Amino acid sequence: MLWRKMIRDLKENKLAYLACITIVVIGLMVYTSFSMVIDNLNLSQKSFYNNQNFAHGFAEVQAMPRSELEKLESLPGIKQIQGRLVKDVRVLLPNREQNVYLRLVSINPVKHAVINDVQLMRGIPLDEREMNIWIDNKFFETNNLDVNQQINIIAEGKKRSLRIVGMGRSPEFIYAMRTANQLYPDPKTFGIAFIPFETMDSMFSEQDVINNIVFNLEPKAIYKEVESDLKPKLETYGLKSIYPRKDQISHLLLTQELKGLQATAQTLPLLFLSIAGMILYIMLKRIVEQQRGQIGVLKAFGYTGREIMLHYMSYAVFIGVVGGVIGGLMGIALSYPMTSMYQHFFNMPGLSGKFSIIYIIISILLALGFSIFAGYQGCRSILTLAPAEAMKPPAPPVGKVTWLERVHFFWNMLTVQGKMAVRNISRNKGRSIFVFLGIMFTFALLALTWSMKNLSEQMLLDQYQKVETYDVKVSFAKPLDQMDAQRELQHFSGVMKVETMTEVPMTFKHKWHKKDVVVRGLTESSSLYNVLDKDDNKISPPKDGVLISERLAQLLNVEVGNELTVKSVKFKDQDDEKELRVVGVIPQYLGLNAYMEINALQDFLQQGEMITSAMLRIDESKVSKLQNEYINSDVVSGIEERAELLSKSKELLASFGSMIYILAIIAIITAFAVIYNSAIINVSERSRELASMMVLGMTPAEVLSVITFEQWFITFFAMIGGIPLTKVFLVGMAQSINNDVYTMPTNMTVISIVTAFFITLASIWIAQRMAARKIKELKLVDVLKSAE
Amino acid sequence: MDTLIKAKGLFKTYLMGEVTVEALKDVDFELYAGEFVVILGPSGSGKSTLLNIVGGMDEATSGELYFKDTALHNANEKKLTNYRRNDVGFVFQFYNLIPNLTTYENVSLAAEISPDSLSIEDVLEKVELLDRAKHFPSQLSGGQQQRVALARAMVKNPKLLLCDEPTGALDVETGILVLKLLKDFCASFGKTVVIITHNAAISQMADRVFYIKDGQISSIKSNENPLPAEKVTW
Repeated sequence: MLWRKMIRDLKENKLAYLACITIVVIGLMVYTSFSMVIDNLNLSQKSFYNNQNFAHGFAEVQAMPRSELEKLESLPGIKQIQGRLVKDVRVLLPNREQNVYLRLVSINPVKHAVINDVQLMRGIPLDEREMNIWIDNKFFETNNLDVNQQINIIAEGKKRSLRIVGMGRSPEFIYAMRTANQLYPDPKTFGIAFIPFETMDSMFSEQDVINNIVFNLEPKAIYKEVESDLKPKLETYGLKSIYPRKDQISHLLLTQELKGLQATAQTLPLLFLSIAGMILYIMLKRIVEQQRGQIGVLKAFGYTGREIMLHYMSYAVFIGVVGGVIGGLMGIALSYPMTSMYQHFFNMPGLSGKFSIIYIIISILLALGFSIFAGYQGCRSILTLAPAEAMKPPAPPVGKVTWLERVHFFWNMLTVQGKMAVRNISRNKGRSIFVFLGIMFTFALLALTWSMKNLSEQMLLDQYQKVETYDVKVSFAKPLDQMDAQRELQHFSGVMKVETMTEVPMTFKHKWHKKDVVVRGLTESSSLYNVLDKDDNKISPPKDGVLISERLAQLLNVEVGNELTVKSVKFKDQDDEKELRVVGVIPQYLGLNAYMEINALQDFLQQGEMITSAMLRIDESKVSKLQNEYINSDVVSGIEERAELLSKSKELLASFGSMIYILAIIAIITAFAVIYNSAIINVSERSRELASMMVLGMTPAEVLSVITFEQWFITFFAMIGGIPLTKVFLVGMAQSINNDVYTMPTNMTVISIVTAFFITLASIWIAQRMAARKIKELKLVDVLKSAE
Repeated sequence: MDTLIKAKGLFKTYLMGEVTVEALKDVDFELYAGEFVVILGPSGSGKSTLLNIVGGMDEATSGELYFKDTALHNANEKKLTNYRRNDVGFVFQFYNLIPNLTTYENVSLAAEISPDSLSIEDVLEKVELLDRAKHFPSQLSGGQQQRVALARAMVKNPKLLLCDEPTGALDVETGILVLKLLKDFCASFGKTVVIITHNAAISQMADRVFYIKDGQISSIKSNENPLPAEKVTW
């Protein structure tokens, strides 16, 4: 019988409970889907790394005789060390205007226990006497290639034809990007080709050398120690870089993604469950107060306090179970599209949506835990209520003077309705705090969402609209003489302007902080690459020191005026340590760089007037001619068009769009639930007061204004409180996102605050309109006739 | 005497579950400006229903009701709200004050919305509560609370003051004080006051007494010499 009572009670305020369930569902949907995706990614990553023997360490050198490698195997801590040739080459695909590249990675087809072994998905083994390759599956599928097809590449200026005999993937290229500023993998224009060492060796002039080393460690070895042993040995061969697995770009980005997912899966559901818990607590507390008489009667019948309490708790349990089941199921449903999205970005085997009952169980338990706790808090007063006392009406609410009344100027400004509202805020402190927190959270979530939108635009578009403004950038395979390169490019037809750039890898040290970066040398009056300060003012690259990015300053813990200790493989003596003064800190969202004036940088290196790339302003119609002319040259490693980079950034931004609307909808539902619930509780609790006012001749709108004034009043302060909370969210978000590729700015934009402001107001307004109906339904006569 | 309220053939039926209850059956009457009327009847006789309809809080099922020349029986919610706002004052058995407003604020809540309100201080002085202006309802006795409710009704300067068992929750002494104030409001301001009660003693002070039984006015008696409130006892 009590069960029926519950269902009817719930029905009476269905919208309020529905809002509560919706919030539970959202929280658990996020929890379940994210957890399942995380599990999937983790499992898949782990087994892929194990099965394919993924390297612990990586090194790049200029050129090292293959025979020298064996000597390194005996170094302490090294379990396995293998050398490879890795080179990017241009692919000639018929009917394609874009530049398409393959990274040739040599493998040894006969060797066992290969590090970074390729998982062959289709085709036959490689033959080291043949011009045959395996292609990574993403490139293979995206470009509609087929086994036994011939593919033409340009190696050292010569056209070569290679036969595709298989398709596979490697743990090294789960997230395959050609350069770090590519933003995301683009398998249409970049792929990996695995090729027998002998075959690859025969295509390049230097014979029997390797330029890339991978190694595995003994179980107890420490990477740092191994690196310090290995480094001096490799420096002889022109060491470019040496880094552990954690800095390997594909691994790094996958790990970052997992970290971000984990953080979301842990925090977001808790926030939503807390809000739902608060709503439940308030609703139940209210219902118990309202049904005092009924409780008294039940007790008088002989129901125990526990039984009655269980009855009221069943409201909470009902919401918990319904929310938990729906949330869990929807989470599972959502995990499939999410997994397929990750499949699109991360190239791993076994990445498929798996149904996991455990998360449904956890969802239900979580929802139950929260709702039972909230429910218990809401109705535990039943236990102490004696039946006779319960049947008597509760003591009338006591009016009290609030501290705000001492602010005479403010107090005198209020109408009587306003005064009622302000006193009510302090009368129902718990509920006021709930509304305050709910609105603050909503506002911050909205402001965060819009800030993220603005900031990602700033992050991705600024780089190619304000900073890099060239039409085409030509990168060189090896340093070239500045004058020669400039002269040559200047005379190319259609070229209006040439600016040269020197990019040098360096290691910056400050105290115990250390970071590998690329220092860019720019001409003093450069107009094709603009170094901008916080307010978008252009600054000239310095001659007397170095400009560094904000994130770099943070990582190195340096300020303007500090001296950095600098090492570089480009110094004449690689062991040399030099000093550089930090003369400025600038924002940089893509990449992690430092800037100097080009001549100052060349002087600093003492290697002559060498450059590594050139930026061009060029007649658009001449771009393809330029590409055809130079792309096959062995001194040119790449030709990038800014327009293409920009359009890729825009594509990426568009994919954020739907995410933003989902978050906005979540925020709006939350605001609605908080405001609607607090309004209808208010109406039912104060029906007598409100009816009295209507009898006095107030219109429903005037009566509603007492409740809405109260809510607007709280909203005002909650939104102000939401601004710093947004900042906290943004900083937290940035910390989980930032890496060497992206640095998310954390400045709140005015537009995001204004947008959040208006959306919050709109959702509150709608919730109040809905609650207003409850006021119109008030039966004046019934309400007022009853005893107080 | 000017007619303030005119009722013709009022019916009121309620649907209580599946049973139809006839609360008012063909009721006709008139209320005149400046008179003091007591509606007397046992509980369940329909007197509250009548008061609620006259006060614009409820609508008759059929029949006609006029305030001066304005028809109320077909008025919409907005018109009824305006009628309650400008022309009627209510006093209830259970005061119905706003708990978190002080005496003064409760009265001014009503004063703020009427176009023709009296001075709040004057009214509070009249009900002898000026010294309690800053007290909240929970700090007042029942009699004091009812006087605040009275002040709240009077301050709007209504032409018609409707009181539903205004002394029902009060002791005799306090009850008489409230009745005296009501009579005074009627006499010195020329307002029409209607009290519904099942307490026959109160009818001694009325100009006219309506006897109501089973939803019908059984008789209307004019009182040649109404007693002053002080002389009434029960």
